[in-house]
Amino acid sequence: MDILIYGTINSVALALYALGFAMVYGVSRLPNFAHGALYVLSGFITWSLLNSLGLPYAVAIVLTLLLTGIIGALIYQLILIRIRGMEISEIMASYAIGLAILEGLRWGGFKGMTYTLPSFIEGSTTIAGIVVDYQRLLVVVIGAAVVGLLWLFTHYTRTGLALRGMAQDERAALMLGIDSDLMAVVAMGFGSMLAALAAVVLLPLGNIVVEAGYNVLILAIAVCIIGGLGSWMGSVIAAFLIGFAQILTVVYLGAHYQMVVALLAIIMTLILKPSGLFGRQKELEERV
Amino acid sequence: MLEAKGLMVFYENMLALNNVDIACADGQIVGVFGANSAGKSTLMYTMSGIMKDIQKKEAMAGGERITIVGEVRFEGEEISRLKPNQRAKRGIVLCPERRRIFNESTVLENLRIGGYLATSAQAKRTLEYVFSVFPALERLQKRIGGFLSGGEQQMLAIGRALMAQPKVLLLDEPLMGLSPLMQATLVRATREIRDEKKISIIVTEQYARPVMPIVDYAFILENGSAVLEGTREHLMDNPDIRSAYFGVEES
Repeated sequence: MDILIYGTINSVALALYALGFAMVYGVSRLPNFAHGALYVLSGFITWSLLNSLGLPYAVAIVLTLLLTGIIGALIYQLILIRIRGMEISEIMASYAIGLAILEGLRWGGFKGMTYTLPSFIEGSTTIAGIVVDYQRLLVVVIGAAVVGLLWLFTHYTRTGLALRGMAQDERAALMLGIDSDLMAVVAMGFGSMLAALAAVVLLPLGNIVVEAGYNVLILAIAVCIIGGLGSWMGSVIAAFLIGFAQILTVVYLGAHYQMVVALLAIIMTLILKPSGLFGRQKELEERV
Repeated sequence: MLEAKGLMVFYENMLALNNVDIACADGQIVGVFGANSAGKSTLMYTMSGIMKDIQKKEAMAGGERITIVGEVRFEGEEISRLKPNQRAKRGIVLCPERRRIFNESTVLENLRIGGYLATSAQAKRTLEYVFSVFPALERLQKRIGGFLSGGEQQMLAIGRALMAQPKVLLLDEPLMGLSPLMQATLVRATREIRDEKKISIIVTEQYARPVMPIVDYAFILENGSAVLEGTREHLMDNPDIRSAYFGVEES
């Protein structure tokens, strides 16, 4: 039972890590290796707003989401747009930006175990004999809400539909009047906001440490590769696969193998089914 | 309405379009005919601005150097500098070769993505119109685009282009690879769209014959040059042209 509960929580957390990455990759084919850095950065932004400026928690969170979205959009507009479409350069540049952010934070003194965010609601409850704190339950609720809202956004709004059109065929989208450069910036902004959202929801569960940036990046990439790059719903399902695999590993093998699961899963997927479990269209293309 | 003057396009040193002058007046259907690699798609890409996007991407990736010379005018205004999405906004919408529909989205979603530039009232009205021109699409609404047949995909591609509220519709080889029956349906629909929506249309084809009956004026491209032009009657009256381009043998 505890496997089921903690597996679900862990899976939703992974999905939250990955959705922003999946969105940016899906729309503009940009593997955003700064994703983990944006995650950690937004944690520190919230912390600073909260502790240095003394803003109320809710205000700090909303501001963080907006700020991180703007930072992501700026990174794209100022730097990444110039190397659009050259995948290796995109990886190098975005990774360099990520490194600069993370190590810059470390250099700026954000290190050690002293940085924490408060939980939204203190306390815990018992589900089927297992103690679960409210913050973890909230993770699941917010994760489900994000997936649901994202689905509605991409199916029923003009911008959401345009993003999906561009994700499938950028040039065809251009022919229909969709500004692909603008949409790529918008996607990067939304993707960064999703990273920030994951951060503010998940970071109260532990300390804000710079190293988390690298782990989040690897986990996000693992989820996206296994789900099929560019397939958002595939990412959600892959998050559950890895999420449960990790918890099972923790229970039966030991906690320090957790990261190995994600990395092994990447390797296995790339060997057995390179397009990922749900990369249907790409799989078709590979066959042709 | 839409015209190109002295259009030249080079891929590296290869001349893809050589000093092409072409024009489409208000409410006309203009045909552009020519063999493979005569420059039809290059012409369509250049007029819709997509060539600028190709040029940009190639330059960024260190690929082919593409040079575009000449002017494109729309409603009397020089638009060579406009990006493809800006041209679409003005009303020049390209329905590309090989259709390029959104394979993972349903028919309805394809059309709604096409309605990006339309107001919601326009989108609603146009959607109804598309379904009235192509009743088959209404039945297939929920079907995934990638699973449609070639003819259905072509209907969808034209419908999607209509959703973008074009003033000039550029149809690049809409009949390619389709059955004669489907070709006839599409040709009829093309004329209907011009007549009912007052949309000017430029259509390219390898074989002039199926579209010739609805064309007001036609250009013939050969190796990147416009070698012949004239009204339908003018072209059909010339026996040499008839046998060379319209597959009509003189008996």
